[in-house]
Amino acid sequence: MKKFLLKFLLTIAALALILSACAPAAPTEPPANQATEAPEVAAPTTPPTEPPAPTPEAPVDLEIWVSGRVTEAGPPPEDWVAYDIIKNDLNINLKVVLLPGTQADQDTKINTAAASNSLPDLFFVNRDSWFKITEAGLIANVEEVLPLMPERTKTHYSDPNRNNQVTYNGSLYGLADPGNLVQTDAMVIRQDWLDKLGLEAPKTLDDFLAVAKAFTNDDPDGNGKKDTYGLCAFLDGSGLNGAGLGPRFDFVYGAYGVAGTWNLTSKGDFGLNVRNPNYMKATEFIRTLNEEGVINPDWPTLKKDDFRVGWKQGKCGMMQENFAALSTKSNYADFDANFPDGEWVSFDPPTGPDGASSAGVTLTPARIYAVSQKAMDEGKGPAIARLLEWMATDGYMLLAFGEEGVNYKLDANGYVTTEGLADADKWTAKEAQPLTQLANMVYIFSDIELQARYPAYKAESGREMAPLDYYNAFGKQAYTNSSGAAVINPPANAADFVRFYSENIVQFVLGQKPLTEEAWAEYIAGLDSLGAKDLEASALQTLIDTGFIE
Amino acid sequence: MRTLTKSWDDIFFQFLINSFLIILLIAVLIPLWRVFVMSVTPLHYIDTKTLGLWLDPRMWSFEAYKQLLSHPSFIRATTNSLIITLGGTTVNMLLTVPFAYALSNPDLPGRKIFITMALIPFLFNAGLIPTYLVVQKLGLVDTYWAVIMPGAIGIYNMLVMKSFFEGLPEELKEAARLDGANELQVLWHVVLPLSKPILLTVGLWYAVGHWNEFFNAILYLNDAKLQPLTILLRNILLAANINEYVEYDAFSSAPVSAFRAASVFLTMLPIILIYPRVQRYFTKGTMLGGVKQ
Repeated sequence: MKKFLLKFLLTIAALALILSACAPAAPTEPPANQATEAPEVAAPTTPPTEPPAPTPEAPVDLEIWVSGRVTEAGPPPEDWVAYDIIKNDLNINLKVVLLPGTQADQDTKINTAAASNSLPDLFFVNRDSWFKITEAGLIANVEEVLPLMPERTKTHYSDPNRNNQVTYNGSLYGLADPGNLVQTDAMVIRQDWLDKLGLEAPKTLDDFLAVAKAFTNDDPDGNGKKDTYGLCAFLDGSGLNGAGLGPRFDFVYGAYGVAGTWNLTSKGDFGLNVRNPNYMKATEFIRTLNEEGVINPDWPTLKKDDFRVGWKQGKCGMMQENFAALSTKSNYADFDANFPDGEWVSFDPPTGPDGASSAGVTLTPARIYAVSQKAMDEGKGPAIARLLEWMATDGYMLLAFGEEGVNYKLDANGYVTTEGLADADKWTAKEAQPLTQLANMVYIFSDIELQARYPAYKAESGREMAPLDYYNAFGKQAYTNSSGAAVINPPANAADFVRFYSENIVQFVLGQKPLTEEAWAEYIAGLDSLGAKDLEASALQTLIDTGFIE
Repeated sequence: MRTLTKSWDDIFFQFLINSFLIILLIAVLIPLWRVFVMSVTPLHYIDTKTLGLWLDPRMWSFEAYKQLLSHPSFIRATTNSLIITLGGTTVNMLLTVPFAYALSNPDLPGRKIFITMALIPFLFNAGLIPTYLVVQKLGLVDTYWAVIMPGAIGIYNMLVMKSFFEGLPEELKEAARLDGANELQVLWHVVLPLSKPILLTVGLWYAVGHWNEFFNAILYLNDAKLQPLTILLRNILLAANINEYVEYDAFSSAPVSAFRAASVFLTMLPIILIYPRVQRYFTKGTMLGGVKQ
């Protein structure tokens, strides 16, 4: 009897486990447009044998995984007007899934779905994952769908630099949408300090050092304390393309013609910039800045937030900064309150000994969307093209700014405004953010978008602020084009490589290592021992394959 | 009445022990205190002297907490976390207790086989993809069950519980059986009342694991309405980092580091509140579970 009961108990436990797992206990009803069946799983490289071809009249179910415009806001609501339009006008049942906020989490989710052959129909993916999944045969060639969306192709897929990033075996295996704004970061200087000390914005590196010294030593804010620095910076780089001291010091390397990690000018010159003797000279100049005490001394350990608190507290005379972080209303308010007469102006990056200058490197960032091979095999290509074409045409304003008259209005010049709308309905309100979560799929950085996103305003001090004036001024400066760097795949030991690369440069600047020819040669040898030559060879081949270098 | 007198050796030993514990306490409290100070640091403040360890209370700002708590999805995400934690822990206990009790009986036929079957997946995890496929094939994606069921029985927890059950006096169970109790009654009326320490200990382990659920939620919960607090807080932090570049939704009232620290505190809070009540059982449970009498 006792044994029987024990067996019974164990059987109950096992059954409970199985039954609980099998229970269709969906706590919420799926929306009407949501596919309720679990995706069919097959071996990753095996396409379905008999794709269920939808009838022309039947609505097409499309599931898209996208990166939301605002990570904290949820997806569009179930009663989103766009769902109805997409269903009624395009005959598509759209299901939107927002990917996690970080690239690492996105990669995990997408790679897991890829490995189980359950990729969605259309999905946002970073280039490294895109390459691996394309190699596995799970991403479709999209060249045949481009003619089905002519306007979208014109506005989104006509940049060869972006298309090169999704070219595989000579064909397009991805849709490379415009990425982030470019040339957003450049050098700015305190004009009020220049005026007080009777100086002019520096034109050369020598001028730069002189102005930096004056800003540090001559009490430019007139408070009687030596509490200012000529240059404020911090280590801002990450990954292979941000190795070294990062973009905040790029203007110095640019003055020596070696901004960025790579020399991409030609096949013959291609390689790591550290091999160029000018890289050492630029590092020497930064070391001089450090020894002269004109850089904020905590720059090697400072975080971005603290860096920004520093200039808002009036410690900085010059810096490389993002135009929006510098000048948009909420970001500028503290500086405005502390220094109502303070004024930041942009200035051209100083020139080096050979007359070169660069505000930093510029890439051609792309947001890559891929169509799964499974979706293409199921005949969903035309529906995907239909959806994307609508997004670029009739649906553009709806996805970018919400409903006209509810979330935004157009002023007399055709620009987006929110005047007269209820606060919670404005497309800029937190409550309305779910309505524009797909905006990244439609943004092309047109004038109307920029005016809407970075509006001019009057600061508390009465100063007229126009963030786009900074952006436009930054855009006129010289930058080093490093678009090809986007396709260079990091080596397997990327973390070690980048750490060695960057830490040594910091040590050279801080004087922890002698900055001599011998020490530099030793540094380069160290990089070679970590595979620098192999990395350069494979990078060059990738650049040739993708058309970035002829 | 006998008076206990302490020798110098005892006093010295006590002094050493107490000193060590005080140092340990400080080592634990300093990071916590620093996180708290960070969480109440106002936007305009930068600390240059105290390494972030002190901020005049008159300057404290609770803007980061206000922003986090007033987020429109906060209540929904907290509810999801509670459902996952309470539901998950209930399922865990419902399955772990009978499993452990059955295996604690040395006379169970095929006991070694069952234990081996439990140990194999414990020692040789199948990995992410097979687990994903199972969850997907069972139709659990986009349900709470997707984050509850894959870890429904923690084998380590089950083994700890089994050891505890094995340590209970067999005579008590025999007495109940002689009085006519069946095994379920023995478990319910004899074993479980004596097992509060291990039940609370293992329950706490399970609950903490569910409360901190993040990875499985990312993988299996596509529907934002089901996502737990951990994901929301993570997304808010990411937004705080990104939004410095945009105008309209920038967090202008608190620094990003304050959001980060406040989210750490908010996530820890339920555990901080529960732990002192469970602690006395916790120590007893872990000790007893590891010793077979």
